[in-house]
Parts: sequence; structure tokens; C-alpha cells
Amino acid sequence: MAETTTTITKAEPTTDTQLDIPWNVVVHNDPVNLMSYVTMVFQKIFGYSRDRAKRHMLEVHQKGRSIVWTGARERAEFYVQQLHSYLLLATLEKAE
Amino acid sequence: MLIRRLRQDAIGFVEIEPIEAELLRQVPAVCGATDEETVRKRLFSEPAEETESQFLKDWEEFVRPELRHIFFSARMLVEEDLKALQSRPGRHARLDLPLSHGEPWLNALNQARLILASQYGLTEKELSMQKIPKLFSRRDLVLLQTNFYAAIQERIIDILVGGEQEDERV
Repeated sequence: MAETTTTITKAEPTTDTQLDIPWNVVVHNDPVNLMSYVTMVFQKIFGYSRDRAKRHMLEVHQKGRSIVWTGARERAEFYVQQLHSYLLLATLEKAE
Repeated sequence: MLIRRLRQDAIGFVEIEPIEAELLRQVPAVCGATDEETVRKRLFSEPAEETESQFLKDWEEFVRPELRHIFFSARMLVEEDLKALQSRPGRHARLDLPLSHGEPWLNALNQARLILASQYGLTEKELSMQKIPKLFSRRDLVLLQTNFYAAIQERIIDILVGGEQEDERV
């Protein structure tokens, strides 16, 4: 068996940690969107059960905002985009 | 007006009164009234804080046109569907939609309600449908119109999510 030499280059540590840290998808209260509509949208986008979707909807309604999803940046951006397409007030923010 | 699930995956608006037909016909026009800054800000709200400048820039360049397209498509579909809404004096009108048009209708009705609410500064309390306006100012009428669209949305959601059984009577 031939012996091979492999050179491993050590990657420079990245200074941009944005992709590593978790990101929250936050939905904010809105006087116009119906509760049933918001619940339906959460079920559709995140695949949540009706109960879980309703819990988030009520949190939005009562507390003004709800973190509906936390995870990788790219996916969080996608979810925010989806929520905007349903006309919900949604933002992306760093998880604490 | 009654809104029912029909056979063959359809939604039926039946026994539509002339005033209801008129309000339905106004949906696409309301959706097109996006000139005001407050309306634009609500339809195209910011997706992050200002510190996310690159993300906001990319959003403006790539996402916003797509959102605009989604909203416009929903509005155009509703406008097309409404061409079948024929009302004659003294008679109720009727409108049948494919079930697949339910979501674009919800989107267009939502646009219309958000636009009216932004234009007239309608409050959460007013929009809760608990209070019937006593004075018929233009604002009161807009509130009724907004809540009429909300009632239609509720019925479409019932049909789409609740899996309401088809109504053989229609």
C-alpha cells in the first residue's frame, strides 16, 4: 500500500461568529392580524402542533412578543422571510 | 352572506348581499393603496435592528421584491376571482373559489385590513369586533369594512384549518 503524505492547513480562527451563535426568530404583537390567522401561520411555517402554535400566539398577544424559533442564522433568516410573506411582524435577533 | 366548504375542494360565498358584494369588489383596490409611508412601513416592516446593516441591505435588495410579488399575486388572483361575482338588483350573488385560492384570499384580505387600519389608525380595541360604532363617520364605516374582511378571514381559516366538511346543500 502506498504511503501518502497529507498536509493539513490549520484554519484561521474566524472573527465572525455570527453563524455560530444561535439566533431567535421573534414575532411581535399586531392589532390587526387575527389570532386564528397567527396560529395557522405558526403551524404552517414551523410545523407546530395546534397547541404549541396557540401558546406562541397567546404569548405574542399578551406579552407583545414571542420567540417562536431559535437556531442557525440561515434558517432563522428563512423563517423571518416566511413570516413576512404572511404579513406578520417578525424580526431576527441574537439569542442571549 | 354565508361562506361554506363546497364539493370538489371549493369554497362557496353564497347569498351575498349587494353591499357585501361591493365590499368584496373593493379588496383589490384597497390592496393597491400603498402610497402612504405608514402603509408601506407596515406591509414591509423591518426584519432586524439597524445594527444588522448587511442583512437589511440584502433584505431590501432580494427579499422585499419577492414579498412585493407575493402580495401582488394574491391581489391579482382575488381580482380575477371577483370577475365571476355577478350581482343583479334584488337578488343575492354567489362566488365559488377553488380551495387552493383560500390562502391567497387570506393574504389579500390581510393586506386590505392592514392598509385600512394603517390609514385610519384603527386600534386593537376597535378591531376586536366587540363594539358596534354608533356614529357613521367615514372612519366607522372603514372599521366595519375591516371587520367584515376579518369575519371572512375567520371563515376561510375554519375551512382551511378546521377541515370543515363539505356542505351538500350548496
